[in-house]
Amino acid sequence: MSRLVAVAANTFRETVRERVLYNLVFFAILMTLSGLLLGQLSIRQDEKILKDIGLAAMDLFGTLIAIFIGTGLVSKEIERRSLYPLLAKPLTRGEFFLGKFAGLAFTLLVNVAVMTAGLALTLLATGRRPALALLGAVYPILLGLLLVVAFAMLFSTQTSAALAAVLTVGVVVAGRFADVVRNMREVAPDVPPWLAEGLYAVLPNFQNFDFKDKVAYGDPVPGGVLAWVTIYGVVWIAIVLCLGLVSFRSRDFQ
Amino acid sequence: MPAPAALVTTGLSKSYRTGHIIQGRRPALQDLDLEVQRGEIFGYVGPNGSGKTTTLKLLTGLLKPDRGDARVLGEPLAARSWRFRAGYLPEHPYLYDYLTAAEYLDYAGRLFGLPASRRREKTRELLALVGLERSANVPLRRFSKGMVQRAGLAQALVNDPELVILDEPMSGLDPIGRRLVRDLILGLRRAGKTVFFSTHILSDAETLCDRVGVLRAGRLVRVGTLGELLRLDVQHMEVLVSGLAPDAPGPWARRCESVGERLRLEVDERDLGRALAAVEAAGGRILSVQPVRQTLEDYFFREMGAAAGGASAWGEG
Repeated sequence: MSRLVAVAANTFRETVRERVLYNLVFFAILMTLSGLLLGQLSIRQDEKILKDIGLAAMDLFGTLIAIFIGTGLVSKEIERRSLYPLLAKPLTRGEFFLGKFAGLAFTLLVNVAVMTAGLALTLLATGRRPALALLGAVYPILLGLLLVVAFAMLFSTQTSAALAAVLTVGVVVAGRFADVVRNMREVAPDVPPWLAEGLYAVLPNFQNFDFKDKVAYGDPVPGGVLAWVTIYGVVWIAIVLCLGLVSFRSRDFQ
Repeated sequence: MPAPAALVTTGLSKSYRTGHIIQGRRPALQDLDLEVQRGEIFGYVGPNGSGKTTTLKLLTGLLKPDRGDARVLGEPLAARSWRFRAGYLPEHPYLYDYLTAAEYLDYAGRLFGLPASRRREKTRELLALVGLERSANVPLRRFSKGMVQRAGLAQALVNDPELVILDEPMSGLDPIGRRLVRDLILGLRRAGKTVFFSTHILSDAETLCDRVGVLRAGRLVRVGTLGELLRLDVQHMEVLVSGLAPDAPGPWARRCESVGERLRLEVDERDLGRALAAVEAAGGRILSVQPVRQTLEDYFFREMGAAAGGASAWGEG
């Protein structure tokens, strides 16, 4: 466990020293602040617009961080061979892989916390009281981001960082349109039902992590729903991490 | 009961997949039976693609063997426990460039579960040992190739290992760095450690090793002390002279070669007296006389023959 924590701590240090992280956080803050301007252009919708844009920035830039840093976590280690001296130590491949995941997960947690604080401060600055209900959208976003990291790491165990990024983007996009996949027979009746159902089953439904609209309109997200989303997210993350682990443990480092 | 050998391999074999559509397998290492004794410096030498790096990667778990087995420090290869007592330097190491040398060694120490105070102490000690104490807080991205190699060597020693496995440890080092590593390896032996290292620099193997294993095309062809491998008796005498015309040496010179304004003569040991007298009689000046024994390089070129493909064949394996 101490070795897993050591890898996680080092991964956190690695990610916070990545320039790309700061670029993305900068743009996310810029986008949140742009909500101030757009809010003034709307009539009595400024709070909703602020929340909408703030949460969307958190989701979008969090996903970009998860993909671009996540895909490099393992594949760059393999390409540069920096993991060779580490794996010769009493560090199992499982500890290395899960430590990398935990490190980036912590980075994303800090990142989402900073952006949530930024959004709350923006709301306060415009005379609105940020409600705790905001977390009803933030928490599922974080779960979704962790699932993106798990996919990015799974692909990066066998391909280059660039190809892993393309594959992860593919899964994220398809997962955000998972309902369309499930109902594709409505627009394409010739598609066999097993294909539509099969595709839906192997894709995570990223819409399940999306409560942005609900929260922006001021509707609370019930605790039962959040519990269900937690189970859904954790099960998916566990499955994808297990696949990644099997893939990582089976590979040779030539 | 004597301690078990540091390293024992039995029939260790590895092949790599070739091709994408029509897949075949290329053997990289075949039936390696090897034993490295405790406290010795064992040199693992062979030309390009002979399987040196493959062997070291198999031993450190970076590759999985097709068949065969190994025991490291008396424990099965798959066990984790021996890794607490071993260190490894890969070929051309790439260390995290976002860390400083001190941070990297601290991280390596954490992976062995060393407490913080011990890690600090070990970091200081090792950086001094490899001559990097003044660069402790410099990010590794600013290190030269030789400095990275030395930092890599330091991380291999962070746990005070009983067995040190080094893949081309002299690679990328300048003469000062090579001397430092050579002294370090000899120091490890004096401290009772076992060093197993691959190299293509034969003079290093010759200077350092108690025993040498010679690998060719994935097969171990010879193992032995330098005395067993080489003819250590004098092959001929080499005489360096000046003040003679190239055609001046008499029939007693087996070979004559111009080196600038000097001549290098190859003379049979029994003809040495007559040769030196003849040089002086011809007005030449004797600069040096050296006995020439067979070197490991001579052995290689003899053993490998055309298979080695000359000096260009040396490199990573």
